[in-house]
Amino acid sequence: MTLLERDPNAPKSMLGDLPVVSRYTFGLAGERFFRAIKDSGRIMGSRCPDCDRIYVPATIFCERCLGEIDEWVDVGTSGVVQTFTLLYENYDGTYRETPEVIAFVQLGDGGLIHRLDEIAHEEVTIGMKVEAVLKSEEERVGSILDITHFRPIRK
Amino acid sequence: MSEKNTHLPGTPLSEKDFQDGNILFNHDRLRGDFAWDTGIAIGSYLAGMKDGVILGGRCDTCRKTVVPPRTVCEWCFRPMSGYVPLRDTGTVNTYSLGYVTWDVKRIEEPEIPAVIEIDGASPLHGIMHLLAEVDPEDVHIGMRVQAVWKSPEERQGAVTDILYFKPIEEEENDSSRA
Repeated sequence: MTLLERDPNAPKSMLGDLPVVSRYTFGLAGERFFRAIKDSGRIMGSRCPDCDRIYVPATIFCERCLGEIDEWVDVGTSGVVQTFTLLYENYDGTYRETPEVIAFVQLGDGGLIHRLDEIAHEEVTIGMKVEAVLKSEEERVGSILDITHFRPIRK
Repeated sequence: MSEKNTHLPGTPLSEKDFQDGNILFNHDRLRGDFAWDTGIAIGSYLAGMKDGVILGGRCDTCRKTVVPPRTVCEWCFRPMSGYVPLRDTGTVNTYSLGYVTWDVKRIEEPEIPAVIEIDGASPLHGIMHLLAEVDPEDVHIGMRVQAVWKSPEERQGAVTDILYFKPIEEEENDSSRA
C-alpha cells in the first residue's frame, strides 16, 4: 500500500457531538412582554409619545429617537399579514408535502413572525386579517410558542 | 473598572431566580453533531490501532519517522516513503496533572495527560495520551511507559483503543530503547 491510498479497513471518520446548551433570558422589555402573554394572554407593545409609534414586541427605548419608553399598550391579538413564505422543508431537512406557512403579522407599528394555520396555503394573501390562537392559561410557559399559531378571522 | 463606579448597570440574576420562576427563559441545546474525516494517513494509523499497532510515517530522504503518520514530509515536502510499525513503549516528554475534567468538574485524583515519545520514532516525536497505574507524585519527564490496550474485540479504530500508558521497569541502556 502506498501512502496515497486510503486503507479500506480504516475508519472513514470519527463521529462526535458538541454539548452546547444555552439559557436565554428575554431582557427587561422581553420579560414584561412574555409575562403578559403567559399571565393574561395579551400581546403588549410600547408607545413612544414623541414619535407616536407603537413597537411590537415592546421595547424599553424608541429606536427612532432613542428616548426611553414607559408607556405600554395592549395591541390586541389580531393583525394583518404583511408578508409570508411557504416552507417545504422540515427543521431536519426532510421534505414536507404540505408547506408550513410562516407570516409576518403586523401588530401596532411592529409585529410578530409566526405560523399561519387553519387555512389552505393557496388561500393565504397579503393583507389578510388574522388572529392569534393561544394555549390555555395552564399550558403557557412564557414563550413565543404560547401562541400556537395565527388563523384567519372568518366573518 | 474605576472605583468611582459604585452603581453597576444591568440586572443581576441568581440560579434561585430561575428555579423560583422569578424570570422567564428559554433553554436550548444546539445540535453540534460532527463527522471528522480521518484522511489517508490518520485513517491508516487508526486502522493500525485496531490491530494493536502504533504506526509511524517514514521519510527516507530526511531519515525521519513521525507519529502519527502523515502523507507529506514536513521537512522536505515530498510524499512520505511509507508506514512503519513502532513499539508501544515510550518515554514521557512532558506531562500535566489535571484536577478538572473536560467539562470543568473538580476531581480528587488527577488525570495525567502526557506527551509520550514513542520508541522507533525520531527523537522528540510522540503522541499525547493519558498515564495511569502510577502515583501522580512519581511521574517524571524521562519516565519509561508502555501502552495498555483494550482487548482486541473492544478495539474500534480510535486512539482510545489505547486505554492509557503505564510505567515500566527496565534496566539502563536497555537495547529495546530506540
